[in-house]
Amino acid sequence: MRKVFAPALIVACVALSADARAEDLPADAGAEDLAADTGAEDLPGGQCLECHLSTGDGVAELWQDDVHARAGIGCETCHGGDPVQADSELAKRRGTGYQGELSPREITSSCGGCHSDVEYMKVRKPLLPVDQLEKYWTSEHGKLLVKGETRVAQCASCHGAHGVREVNDAKSPVYAPNIPAMCAQCHADADYMSDFDIETNQYDEYTQSVHGKALLEKNDVRGAPACNDCHGNHGAAPPSIDAITNICGACHSYNAELFLGSPLAPAFKEKSLADCVACHGKHFITHTRDEWEGDKPGATCRKCHEKGEEGSELALYFTETFGSVRQSFEEIEALLTEAEMQGMDVTEGEDYVEAARQGLMQARTLIHSFSKPVMEEKLIEISENQAAALEEGFAALQALKDRRRGLAISTLLLLLLTIIVAIKIRTLPPIE
Amino acid sequence: MSTSPENPDRALLAWAKDRYPIGKFVEWAKHKTVPIGPGAFWYYFGGISLFLFLIQVGTGILLMFYYKGSADTAFESVRFISAKVPFGWLVRSVHAWSANLMIFSVFIHMFSVFFMRAYRKPRELTWLSGIVLLALLLGFGFSGYLLPWNELAFFATKVGTDIVGVIPVIGEPIMYVLRGGEEVTGSTLPRFFALHVALFPALLTVFIAGHLFFIQMQGIHEPDAWKAHPEQRKTMPFFPHFFMRELLLWLITLNILAVLAVFFPAELGIEADPFSPAPAGIKPEWYFLSTFEFLKYMPAHVGPLEGEEFGLLLISFGFLLWCLVPWIDRGRHPRITKIVMVAGVLILVFLSTLTYLGHVA
Repeated sequence: MRKVFAPALIVACVALSADARAEDLPADAGAEDLAADTGAEDLPGGQCLECHLSTGDGVAELWQDDVHARAGIGCETCHGGDPVQADSELAKRRGTGYQGELSPREITSSCGGCHSDVEYMKVRKPLLPVDQLEKYWTSEHGKLLVKGETRVAQCASCHGAHGVREVNDAKSPVYAPNIPAMCAQCHADADYMSDFDIETNQYDEYTQSVHGKALLEKNDVRGAPACNDCHGNHGAAPPSIDAITNICGACHSYNAELFLGSPLAPAFKEKSLADCVACHGKHFITHTRDEWEGDKPGATCRKCHEKGEEGSELALYFTETFGSVRQSFEEIEALLTEAEMQGMDVTEGEDYVEAARQGLMQARTLIHSFSKPVMEEKLIEISENQAAALEEGFAALQALKDRRRGLAISTLLLLLLTIIVAIKIRTLPPIE
Repeated sequence: MSTSPENPDRALLAWAKDRYPIGKFVEWAKHKTVPIGPGAFWYYFGGISLFLFLIQVGTGILLMFYYKGSADTAFESVRFISAKVPFGWLVRSVHAWSANLMIFSVFIHMFSVFFMRAYRKPRELTWLSGIVLLALLLGFGFSGYLLPWNELAFFATKVGTDIVGVIPVIGEPIMYVLRGGEEVTGSTLPRFFALHVALFPALLTVFIAGHLFFIQMQGIHEPDAWKAHPEQRKTMPFFPHFFMRELLLWLITLNILAVLAVFFPAELGIEADPFSPAPAGIKPEWYFLSTFEFLKYMPAHVGPLEGEEFGLLLISFGFLLWCLVPWIDRGRHPRITKIVMVAGVLILVFLSTLTYLGHVA
């Protein structure tokens, strides 16, 4: 497991040994003195850092930006050894607890030694959860590691080893937009995954999905989900069918609520259909379109409903109604644009159009109730707003006609006055 | 004159005559004349400017019935005027168009006075008061442009006040006072409103009165050629001959205003949002375009000065020379007169070209 081995075997761990843990808080004078002695820009690492800077193995360079280094945690915390000794033999001598490169299993123990310790973490990083290791053992990665499979991801596989950064640091591999590519390092590698019987097209599909585009192209860090938002991060596992509505519902809460209250929820459960995924897909989730419904072959609803069935009829109602609403929008837009192009204020009409569009958006969400009466109620609201917008458009055009008629009348009056004044000028006594 | 109840008009006149020197005014009006020369047509633009100003006052008062001069309410109140108030759209459009036509008319008036050399002794103060009036009208335009509180106006005001801030020493304090802070914000709007409806109208009234007083005292400028050839002198009575012709032009102007207001009503755009980025292509009103464009062509630095500072220095120097024209060209040296006239033509071409370039940019 090259992705795992490379960084993982370097990471430190003497985690289970309380003596080896960084007991001192970052402001500890001893750590600062040590850094000053080694001349390593106040970073902990002592003589280890001095030597590794000269070997060019990159470890010391990565250490410069590591959150642990900044927190005053030295190499010996994970690797053991004596950082005061300049001589490598003395530094690694028996009795110093020197461990060198850590195995994947040792890495989880090393990281977990501190990160699972409530007392230890609450004075250093009180907002950081301490259940990562616990969750990890419930993940597919953790379960396989317990069975002896070392090619699975552990802490350093995702967070890195000596260059660990904060999760919200854009350079961190676990910063939201970096996560899909990070997971894909293993999960999109067909050779690497061949022994695990897992598909490797998730990343390709995700990048083309509405979620992938939002996160990777629009950088919607707060809104769009990365792999871990659905699968979990430390407890990463494929979601069970029962969990899917809850997972999608974490963001799409109203859709989930409507679906769970609809007649389709028990029917899906009975047929072991994966709720949201059954219609929307998994990684390749695209924008929904009204054409998805209907009773034509290939339509989403036709996956389960034959033409003429009640479900198919409802789907046909949805698609035809939405088509009609969309067509009305086109007519209204044309009317309002015509009035606006001629200088009329149609803001109020546009407000009604906006309200109707909001209504249509809500109506599309209401599909998840799979209820005709619920939809009809919303459609009445939409049509009322559309009618009001049309009325505004026609009123604007009528007002335009009235203005021009008024202009014609006033022009005639002004012309008449002009003629009267001109005649008056002609009748004035001649200029001497 | 009869004061009998059967003739109330005359009775009223007689009543007034008993108390006020109306007779003297009537006599003065009867004898007031206007020269008829080759440039006589241009005399009418002073009156047209005055007529448009009166329209501004009338429509401005009507707009104030509904306008609410704060950042939270300004845009909606203008929208309400345009969409809901009966003939509100007409009043607002006429106000906007007559402002533009008035500034255009004042420019024509100023350049016609310049090319007819009517600025010479004894009309130096008439010339200066006219320039102050133009500056005040530009101030009216600048302050009024922000009042609808739409996006274009907001950013144009930001650019305009930025330019003010470039003036060495006094620029930044003036900019701060105009904006009501470091930036154009909701605090800026009430200040511009106050300038637009209180300070500028008061100053304008004083200067218009002074300008008209000077004209009435000294009469309208007559062509220079008449001094050498008095036999060519030809005038028409102000009342009713000139006045009726002026009235004819006012009617035509009014009709032009109505056509513009109906076919090109004032737009409102979208509401200003101080936190949104400036849209592309922000430009000031056409009468500031030449200055705006001129400053754009300035290099980054000229000696120790910033390019914009240097540009404003040039404009200020040019403006000062323009104010001093009556003392530069006193009519004693034909060569100086020729230079001044050529400079006038070049300035006109320069302003027109820059305005055009600014428009198409």
